[in-house]
Amino acid sequence: MEAPADVTWKGYSVAERDRRWTAVRKAAGEAGLDCIFVPLCVDPMQLYLSSDSKRGVRSDVRYLTQMENAAIVLPTDGRAPIVIDDRGRGNNWIADAGPANRGMRGSWSSAMADALIELGMERARIGISGLTRGTYTHARANDGVINYSSYVEVMRRLPNATFVNATDVLGRVRFVKGDEEIETFRRAVAIAEAGVEEMAAVARPGVDAAHLYSRVTVRLLELGSERHDWAMNLPDRNTNPPIGRRLRAGDYITNEVSAVWGSQLAQEDQPILLGAVPEEWKPLIELQRQLWHESLAVMRPGTSFGEVLDFISAFGPKHGVGTHVTCHSRGLGNEGPIVTPRTVGPNVRAVRLERGNTFVWKPSVESADGKHSYVWAGDVVVMEGGAEALPKRPVDIISIT
Amino acid sequence: MESPADSTWQGYSLAERDRRWAAVRKNAAEAGLDGVFVPLGNGSDARYLTEQAAASVVLPTDGRAPIGVSDRGGHTPWVSDIRTANRAWAEPMAHALLDLGMERARIGVSGLKGGKVSHVRNPDGVVDYSAYAEVQRRLPNATFEDATDIVGFARYVKGEEEVACLRHAAAIGEVGIEEMAELARPGMDAAVLYARVMGRMLDIGSEYYPLAFYCAPLGEEAARNTDPPLGMRLRLGDYITNETSPVWGGQVAQEDQPILVGPIPDAFKPLIDLQREVWEAGLAMMKPGLTFGELLDFVEAFGKQHDVATSVTMHGRGIGDDNGPLITPRAAGEAIRGLRMEAGNVWIWKPSTHSPDGKLTFQWGGDVLVTDHGGERLFKRPHACISVQ
Repeated sequence: MEAPADVTWKGYSVAERDRRWTAVRKAAGEAGLDCIFVPLCVDPMQLYLSSDSKRGVRSDVRYLTQMENAAIVLPTDGRAPIVIDDRGRGNNWIADAGPANRGMRGSWSSAMADALIELGMERARIGISGLTRGTYTHARANDGVINYSSYVEVMRRLPNATFVNATDVLGRVRFVKGDEEIETFRRAVAIAEAGVEEMAAVARPGVDAAHLYSRVTVRLLELGSERHDWAMNLPDRNTNPPIGRRLRAGDYITNEVSAVWGSQLAQEDQPILLGAVPEEWKPLIELQRQLWHESLAVMRPGTSFGEVLDFISAFGPKHGVGTHVTCHSRGLGNEGPIVTPRTVGPNVRAVRLERGNTFVWKPSVESADGKHSYVWAGDVVVMEGGAEALPKRPVDIISIT
Repeated sequence: MESPADSTWQGYSLAERDRRWAAVRKNAAEAGLDGVFVPLGNGSDARYLTEQAAASVVLPTDGRAPIGVSDRGGHTPWVSDIRTANRAWAEPMAHALLDLGMERARIGVSGLKGGKVSHVRNPDGVVDYSAYAEVQRRLPNATFEDATDIVGFARYVKGEEEVACLRHAAAIGEVGIEEMAELARPGMDAAVLYARVMGRMLDIGSEYYPLAFYCAPLGEEAARNTDPPLGMRLRLGDYITNETSPVWGGQVAQEDQPILVGPIPDAFKPLIDLQREVWEAGLAMMKPGLTFGELLDFVEAFGKQHDVATSVTMHGRGIGDDNGPLITPRAAGEAIRGLRMEAGNVWIWKPSTHSPDGKLTFQWGGDVLVTDHGGERLFKRPHACISVQ
């Protein structure tokens, strides 16, 4: 993998911007909206419900502008959007962002309301993305991600406009990745796998768990990943270096090793056992590998999520085990559809797969007596013939003896 | 420094919890509030009051125990009653208020707006719209008003346990700086440098808080990087500035150490010396009762006396990155000129000196504590521009 200093990727093209804007405009038009408005969202550092939720808070505006924190009004009729950010600095997608408060610290509400008015939205039907959770985005944020004080003021300034939730209008577009996104996602997966390799190289009895967490983090960052609060479970979940913990023989390390490249968030889950694999686990590991491969073959464009979930459920009884799946879409953070053994998100069963969907796919097997459960997971992209597994490492547990 | 695996620190005591709650209740009572409500979105105030990273809390002014809300619920050593949100927060937050008898109460909401000494980087506050709007709908006869400063001014004065954590955090930051000075050489991949500094701080137990890294030839404007920079290899003559921010016990410290990859030009040396003088003189002034206006005026006058331009950047330290007061070129501090310093305030103190032609700037800083005898450094390293070759 090329070093970050020598990287030749220069960011997403203007063609990718236009692909996204065109798709959002089309979806907004079909929903009868005059524009899509992504207002100021809450501070991700202050709304830390999970690693993924945190990353997802400002993901809509990043999707449309490549800016970390901004607000945008994107008219449905093809006119150029108005973008507001803290300092009024543009980028290669947005030539002329406006400052939120003349470049000084201050409320964003006036600039946002002015943008809507300038675009003639006083009596418009305005679609707000992020007001509540969606099927495809903000999947864990039931209460949405919109900042209260500024949004209330915008509504006060436009008393004759109609504000409606449009989270799924934008989310549905984000669900289908373009070729550039799939390429950056592949690289994110490769970085995450380098992190997994590092973990396997460092994890030994006696190692300070904080040191292990640190070493994996360094490996991800030095390959150019953005920071994502990846998780190491011992078995408590740690998204920061664990304090007061040294690895011991017999420890079973599960993880969500997450890397970000080109804003695409990948996640690889690699079980590591500090010891020999118990005999009773081996059939489970073998069946999970079989389930992984067979389920990917089912994930073809046009197949509904319900059909995929039914396949998973039926696989277990045929083999005398329980089978489940946890999965969620990948992208800029907090994507859905989200499925766990306990929860299937709203409307998920009816969602049909499309070429360009990306997921972290985590089918699991559970012994008949419920005492042992095993999952190995990685990122996949739906292609014409079924889902393509992006990780290169073997579908297997790593045993360190 | 002990390794994280052998750390003996077990978290904040119940005495520290009670100190915080008492301070907030006192401020709330003086404001005539029946309770303080920290809604979804306000993570730092919730962490201050509950030690939970993602929570909501209602703290009655009259001394009754608070009710918390978190995604999974349960109880902690600090809060015995934590309701389960299970990703839907409006309902349990409204119930917490109702169960505490707040149907017709005067409720102070922390985080609705940016405050004087907290949430200073979020002028529109941090509160989540949909959850809070539903809570208001469920309590139509209650009065909700902004109480950001009620919690903020409690957070403004650190207790001894918090100061000890900030000292520990600052020490971690200095280890990170040592690593940066050790590795910063011409030809080094900037992303690798970034990764190694972060890794060194994590290795000794810091929570992850992004290093802010700037690198460009001396005198040129550098981009801010809070992730590993791409496409950058260090060159001779590069000037690295940084905000190295380790976290211990939830307290975010910040140490800023300029590093020049090459010899220090003679034209730069007077700026470094003058910055040391203004930094030390300002530190000595930081006693309880001093207003920020007095400090700002002193720094401005210092520059005029020495034929250089001077400016102040400083901001409070503590939980999260939103502690105030915030004084920067974009937030000049007019609103807090009359605010007085108190013993137990902690901030990053980093005034700057600028050459008369505006081409060169020197800024160095670290965490300081206000005491009766003036400001006290929470870090050890000497004032300097580090030159590496």
